[in-house]
Amino acid sequence: MRKLFIVLAVIFAILGIVFAVLPLGTLALLPIGLGFIFGFIALIKSDINQKNIPKWILIVSGLTLIVVIGKQTLIKDEVAKDVQFEQKKIESKKEDMKDLEGLE
Amino acid sequence: MRKLLFILTILLAINAAFAQENKAVKPGEKFIYAASYNMSGLMTQLAQVTMETETVKTSKNTLLHLSCQATTFSKWDTFFKIRDIYESYVNPITLKPSLYKRDIFEGSYFKKEKYIFKNGGSTIESTMNKKHTETKKTFSVGGTTQDVVSILYKLRTVDFNTFKPGQIKSFVVVFDEKEMAVSAKFMGKETVSAGNLGKKECYKISIGAKTKALKGTDKNIIWLTADAAKVPALIKFSIPVGTGQLTLSNASGL
Repeated sequence: MRKLFIVLAVIFAILGIVFAVLPLGTLALLPIGLGFIFGFIALIKSDINQKNIPKWILIVSGLTLIVVIGKQTLIKDEVAKDVQFEQKKIESKKEDMKDLEGLE
Repeated sequence: MRKLLFILTILLAINAAFAQENKAVKPGEKFIYAASYNMSGLMTQLAQVTMETETVKTSKNTLLHLSCQATTFSKWDTFFKIRDIYESYVNPITLKPSLYKRDIFEGSYFKKEKYIFKNGGSTIESTMNKKHTETKKTFSVGGTTQDVVSILYKLRTVDFNTFKPGQIKSFVVVFDEKEMAVSAKFMGKETVSAGNLGKKECYKISIGAKTKALKGTDKNIIWLTADAAKVPALIKFSIPVGTGQLTLSNASGL
């Protein structure tokens, strides 16, 4: 049973890292939370000399959590300046004017 | 007495006829929204939606240019880039459309659509550009038919103050070269956060349409500020691929 919880905790900890790297925002909290839960259960179920792996899983999950919260609070959601898109809009407007003049 | 009643009736009729005239939508408006999508129960911010209005002058006419633009936040651009523009050129008083354009760029998918409203809006000349193939079509619509952009603004001209909860206002919209009935059901008033405008009392309007693009009953809701400007403060939508919302972050030019 302890091994199963360790495996689950490792899987969710890795998923947490992947989600934290991707721009999924608070969605990363889901695998991190599950990683914490399974890691904690594995820690309780481990003997004193077997607590090393669950401890590391909890540390990694904790660090990932800090990264996610940091990204959410420090990095602002911004729209990149898209020169190509702006140019396309200008050209489109010129075309619109031709259509509108043709309507009258 | 009869004369007085006659005059009153005439005045009421004139008032009713002009009730739909635009007093809410002004040129120079700019509303910025954060668009979030529901991923596993958590709202994830994906894109910025900008709604703008500006006056456009042709050699004989003055029109109002309405545009809605969706742009993914830069962090998403590498994974899934969205650059969508929905535009409409309308009469500034009646908000009747003359030209409607839709330019979609989502990842590797793109589509362009243009409707030119002719014969007082009863005929549409449509040009569709999809997968590098251009198709043209001319079809008839009702004289009061709106496009999907102008209908959003038209909704702001409705006097919801006179509405009772459950009361419905109907519109006809043309989308994907098909006309469809759209209903706006007044659901009462609610106070919601409206970005830089602070907390605002709003009209809660449920949008219904017989289309596959919208899902569920009373799941597509717009909160319009209960004032003269009727700014869309919050928009919740339910589409076949999931649910999401548009939260107003900044409103200017009111």
